[in-house]
Amino acid sequence: MPSVPPTAPVPALARFPAAVHEAFHRYRAAGDPGAAEEVVIAAIVDYCPPGPGKLAAASNSARLLEDLGYDSVAVAELIFFLEDLFDVSIQNEDILAISTIGELRACVTRKLAGRPGAP
Amino acid sequence: MNPVITGVGFITPIGNGPDEVERSLREGRHGMGPVEFLGNPELPVKLAGTVKGFEVDSPSWRDWSWPGRYDIPKDVLRGLAPHGVYALCAIEQALAHARLRASDIANDPSTGLYCASAGSAMLLHHNLSKMRAARGVRGNPLGVVSSIAGTLNFTLGAHFQITGAVCGFVSACASSSHALGYAIDDLRLGRLRRAIVVGAEELNADSLLPFAHMRVLSRHSEPRRASCPFDVGRTGFVGAGGAVAVILEVPDAAATRGAPALAVAAGWGQGADGYSVAASHPQGAGLRLSIERALADAGLGAGDIDYVSAHATSTTVGDLAEALALGQVFTARGLRPPVGATKGLTGHGLSLSGAMQAAFCVLSIMAGFMPGNPHLVTADPGCEGLELPRDAVLRAPLRVLSNSSGFGGSNVCHILAAPKRFTG
Repeated sequence: MPSVPPTAPVPALARFPAAVHEAFHRYRAAGDPGAAEEVVIAAIVDYCPPGPGKLAAASNSARLLEDLGYDSVAVAELIFFLEDLFDVSIQNEDILAISTIGELRACVTRKLAGRPGAP
Repeated sequence: MNPVITGVGFITPIGNGPDEVERSLREGRHGMGPVEFLGNPELPVKLAGTVKGFEVDSPSWRDWSWPGRYDIPKDVLRGLAPHGVYALCAIEQALAHARLRASDIANDPSTGLYCASAGSAMLLHHNLSKMRAARGVRGNPLGVVSSIAGTLNFTLGAHFQITGAVCGFVSACASSSHALGYAIDDLRLGRLRRAIVVGAEELNADSLLPFAHMRVLSRHSEPRRASCPFDVGRTGFVGAGGAVAVILEVPDAAATRGAPALAVAAGWGQGADGYSVAASHPQGAGLRLSIERALADAGLGAGDIDYVSAHATSTTVGDLAEALALGQVFTARGLRPPVGATKGLTGHGLSLSGAMQAAFCVLSIMAGFMPGNPHLVTADPGCEGLELPRDAVLRAPLRVLSNSSGFGGSNVCHILAAPKRFTG
């Protein structure tokens, strides 16, 4: 994205810390999948309903519904946010196969890698 | 058995609590302020009844703020419309006023929730625009819940864990009077023992500008000239946002927990114009019918009414129709109860209007005063015979009539009365 300075704030990430904006820029500039996953993790934490589950967000085996307190609508909101942010489409079949954080990360990474023009 | 009102909550242009609202009504202090929509200073809409202490203009809940004393969890906030934030705060306030905790009403099958709003045109527009931009592929999963008419029932019913009944009313500017009326009926019929009634509207370009295109908004931007119900110089209404909540209980439920009755819901009635999609019947026929039905329901005559809280919004046609209806009920019988139109101070809150007036009437009864018409200079000749005081009348009314009229000719009237300890 040559016209966008590498540290410019990303409007869709307005409420996220600077490190998340930087990670998003790293992904956009170099296609770094690790950077994209940082953004995904931040979004999982952000969309997580209040409760005791937040601390477990970094664990790949944590389940969105049972461990983090997500409900089906919160999952749909998280997916909608990630679709908009990364400009990808995640189908219902994909969502039904996701129950853990690791599965969601892998799904987004797969979508990004499979996108036309993906770095 | 008539239900009693045990609590009221206000998020209004003239105050965010009963004390502040009472002062504004007594002193004739308006709550209108300058507004600019869509970044266009050329628009003729420059004044509105604004809500203070809240920031809910953005379509994203992440940008919103509200007074810190209200508790709105993030997972609730994400499903709310801007006016849902007002409504939730008004309910929290009314519950506290009624000495109820949230846990007292949660999962209580004898408590119901009766809501009124037009939905959020702003969020509906925003969400559907995004959906269209994505060519229908995706959209906000909470777009429906947060924006359509019914959003208050969906979100607040779940948040407060209401299990007795959850319902919504859409009859434009009579909506929250309908909500109050049907809540009263459910309590009278023994279906429930307690009801929360809430009316709310947001104030933004999408909620207000369409009324400018109907040519029903005031052409003035100076508050005293802009909203002056019953005045010969009135040119239209001034829009307003906010929320008002009312807690109704059957008398023994209130007495059992030692909560004082603030007022009695003595009767209500409705009638319709069958005349126009928007304009009132020129003789106020539906409104007159609803006043007479409310009186009959309360077992009262016109001579028993000490004060009338008028619907009057400062439109040329609507105010005249109401004046004529009041003339037929009161003046024709030689009666002159003071008539006050509080929209001179608040502006017109649309769906919120009826609940707001009813709650103002509760304050009148509790605090012993009757709001006047502080922006009235020269009364319309059609008001001849009506008692239209400019200043608040410092006398306690025992029985008050509150009028509401909405598009399509819906008219709803309530009669509120002082509880027994006032009347001896």
